[in-house]
Amino acid sequence: MRFFVRRTIFYVITFWAAMTINFFIPRVMPGDPVTALIAANQGKISPDAIEAITKLFGLDENTTLWQQYVNYWTQLFHGNLGISFSGREPVVDILARSLPWTIGLVGIATIISFTIGTLAGVAIGWRRGTRADILLPISTFFSTVPYFWLALVVIALFAVRLGWFPASGSYNRSMVPNLSWEFAGSVIYYGTLPALTIIITSVSGWILGMRNMMVTVSSDDYVTVAQAKGLPERKVMFGYAARNAILPQLSSFALSLGFIVGGTLVMETVFSYQGIGYQLLKATAAKDYPLMQGCFLVITVAVLLANVIADFAYGVLDPRTRQEG
Amino acid sequence: MRKFTTVAASAAVVALLATACSGGGEDPADGDGDKPTQATSNERSDKVLTVGMPNGEASANQNPIAPGAGSTSFGYAYAIYESLMQVNEIKPNDPPTPWLAEKIEWNDDYTEAVITPRAGVKWSDGEDFTADDIAYSLQIRKDNDELNPDFPGQYGDITTDGSTVTVGFTSGQYVNAVKLYKLLIVPKHIWENEDPVTYTADDMIGTGPFTLKSFTPQSVTLVPNDSYWGEKPLVGELRYDAFKDNPGLTTALTSGEAQWGWVFIPDFENTFIAQDPDHFNQVAGGGFGVDVLYLNNEEKPFNDVAFRKALNMVVDRADISATAGYGVWPQIKSVTGLPQPSGDDFIMDEYKGQELSVDVDGAKQVLTDAGYTWDGDALVDPDGEKVSFTLTNPQGWTDYLDALAIIGEGAKALGADAKVEPVVQDTWFNQVINLGDFDASLHWTDGGSTPWNLYSNIMDGASYVPQGEPANWNFGRYQDDEVTAALADFKSATSDADRMAALGTVQKHFVEDVPGLVIWSRPAVAQYSTVNYTGFPTAEDPYANPQPTGPQAALILTKLKPTAD
Repeated sequence: MRFFVRRTIFYVITFWAAMTINFFIPRVMPGDPVTALIAANQGKISPDAIEAITKLFGLDENTTLWQQYVNYWTQLFHGNLGISFSGREPVVDILARSLPWTIGLVGIATIISFTIGTLAGVAIGWRRGTRADILLPISTFFSTVPYFWLALVVIALFAVRLGWFPASGSYNRSMVPNLSWEFAGSVIYYGTLPALTIIITSVSGWILGMRNMMVTVSSDDYVTVAQAKGLPERKVMFGYAARNAILPQLSSFALSLGFIVGGTLVMETVFSYQGIGYQLLKATAAKDYPLMQGCFLVITVAVLLANVIADFAYGVLDPRTRQEG
Repeated sequence: MRKFTTVAASAAVVALLATACSGGGEDPADGDGDKPTQATSNERSDKVLTVGMPNGEASANQNPIAPGAGSTSFGYAYAIYESLMQVNEIKPNDPPTPWLAEKIEWNDDYTEAVITPRAGVKWSDGEDFTADDIAYSLQIRKDNDELNPDFPGQYGDITTDGSTVTVGFTSGQYVNAVKLYKLLIVPKHIWENEDPVTYTADDMIGTGPFTLKSFTPQSVTLVPNDSYWGEKPLVGELRYDAFKDNPGLTTALTSGEAQWGWVFIPDFENTFIAQDPDHFNQVAGGGFGVDVLYLNNEEKPFNDVAFRKALNMVVDRADISATAGYGVWPQIKSVTGLPQPSGDDFIMDEYKGQELSVDVDGAKQVLTDAGYTWDGDALVDPDGEKVSFTLTNPQGWTDYLDALAIIGEGAKALGADAKVEPVVQDTWFNQVINLGDFDASLHWTDGGSTPWNLYSNIMDGASYVPQGEPANWNFGRYQDDEVTAALADFKSATSDADRMAALGTVQKHFVEDVPGLVIWSRPAVAQYSTVNYTGFPTAEDPYANPQPTGPQAALILTKLKPTAD
């Protein structure tokens, strides 16, 4: 029990530190949202309007940094993240409508990638030294290719040259989002290329991890015993070897879930996908502090939560990690 | 000023697209003259007209009067809410066209306007539009600084007698009259129960030719307003799509996915028009907007009028317009810096027909006369120091930086050592341009409906603040009491003759003192396709600013006709 209490205290402190850094980072960044807005409007807003905009953004009030910090925590506990400067709508609303897109697309892509990668790793690891090993360098090649370049090639090939898939967007814009097969189909159609590129670039990690564990495990005594007993090959492979080899895979899967939220900025930029990464990019360009803080908050919390899950799950699965000195 | 903060990735997409579909290969049309005339129909069409702006997602806040509001930067607010008058920026001397106001009468010194509302106009919820709505729309701008970027601190009393509205101003507004004409009017009966600053106006009740059908952050759909007071729109459905950045909208326009919008398309004739020369158009409106090379009049080398003059004579404006501006921004020809044809009526007789040209020998003569010498190739000023200066602008503003490079080449022809130095955008805004901490830097000017803004922004002593303190305009710190007085006179004059006399003084100083260099004019430009609808402003009939993001959108939308085929 002491283990779990100690971990909990540790995470509470980490959360406080992350949130505090989250508060200070936008404030020490150079630039201000008013001139960013003027720059973005290509000279349509005269410098005479600076005063009006400053007041509209609530930046004219002279509050001390400490007061702002206290307000920030008060707002956080009320689930209020403030009003975005650029859109003047609540940050919570913006996050609420962006998150499902990111989690949906990247989450599904990660699960698919994990499943394919792990299964392939089991197969390659079990029959090592066969021709199937060629998969390793190929998948590693794709994982080392810069993501945005791969994405551009995929767009040029499948969207522009062949015209099979749309080049950008997250659904057919002429539709109003609703719960229909037609709309769901559109979402899947538009999500195919982004998901495909994520899977291609991330699958090699899963293959490699699983294969290496399989190689280690398959030389263990209990595997030899199982084979000596005359059990079917499939049963030994999955029931004995893979079952034990998958432990580290699971914990890194839990960790990768945390990066789903934050790690897709490039994908959302290249494919104009309306997720949280795109919002963060937009907020940074506009110096939109409230929205930036909101995005950082979501990303930090996601990573922390994933850590908690990985940590505690491992604690449950492997008693050795719980032992005190 | 155009900003290119696009990620390299997206830019490359367009490059790929451009190579992938540059099949046509024929010469782009020289003008609009050789486009076939299209048969049109007078029946409402059910085809969708898609409007695009590269501003990212729309936000779920439809307040149309807050500065920088999403609904105005996307443009759909202008199809729903209307302005008091329609102003044609390309013909600034034409009287404005009555719109929600039947007439607006100013007193002689432009400190008071009497607005007569149009009769028979209804809000889209069925309520009558009255003088109270106009008075209310002005009053909330007066009461809330947040909503008042146009006349900060300048509103006087706003009264209404039921049939007209009288609005006072604390100073003469001759040069700002057009800002009053362009104010959007909102319904009092809905807005008075809300805080106008935070109200999100989700229903979008307006007087305009269209009403809101559906909103998503990706796309806003409007349908015709059947109770519209003016000519009933023939466009069956309007869609405003969110495009994340310039390349996104460029792709949509060239593929025909969007049919109306504005985005800077480098080499637009090949990238855009050549894709469908019969239907694709790019049209420039008028106005007085220009980009200016501000010269630091208080520091070497630009504190010497002879050097400013000489630089002005070696800047190749034709090359700047064609190369740095890709032919999108028209060349400035008049020595007065005024864009044409908008400025034609404001060019003094003595400068009519005088055009800027590159004259290196003439420039060297000016310098020699002023006591400059040459050490080998290097220019040496009368104090014996070598002339050098830095041209600066934010990183990524590629058109500005390209223009600076061309200006630098001109300076080198004189023997001056000119360097182009990009800086971080935030630094430029907050520490360079406003504090006057530069030698030469490009900046835009306010458009306005008279040349006053252009000249005032460059050389008005009323905007002068010492170096090191933030200035709003007159970044070059030019000071001349005669000019300052003449600019004030122009604003407060009560007759056209007085105004022209004041303008003459300003213009003379602009030409002779060269406080800054106007490098090109920056009119409102728009792209559109006439595949489904025609009747947009053209080069031959520039009846309005062609962009969808302004009060003129209501006028253009009622003029569009479906194509018959």
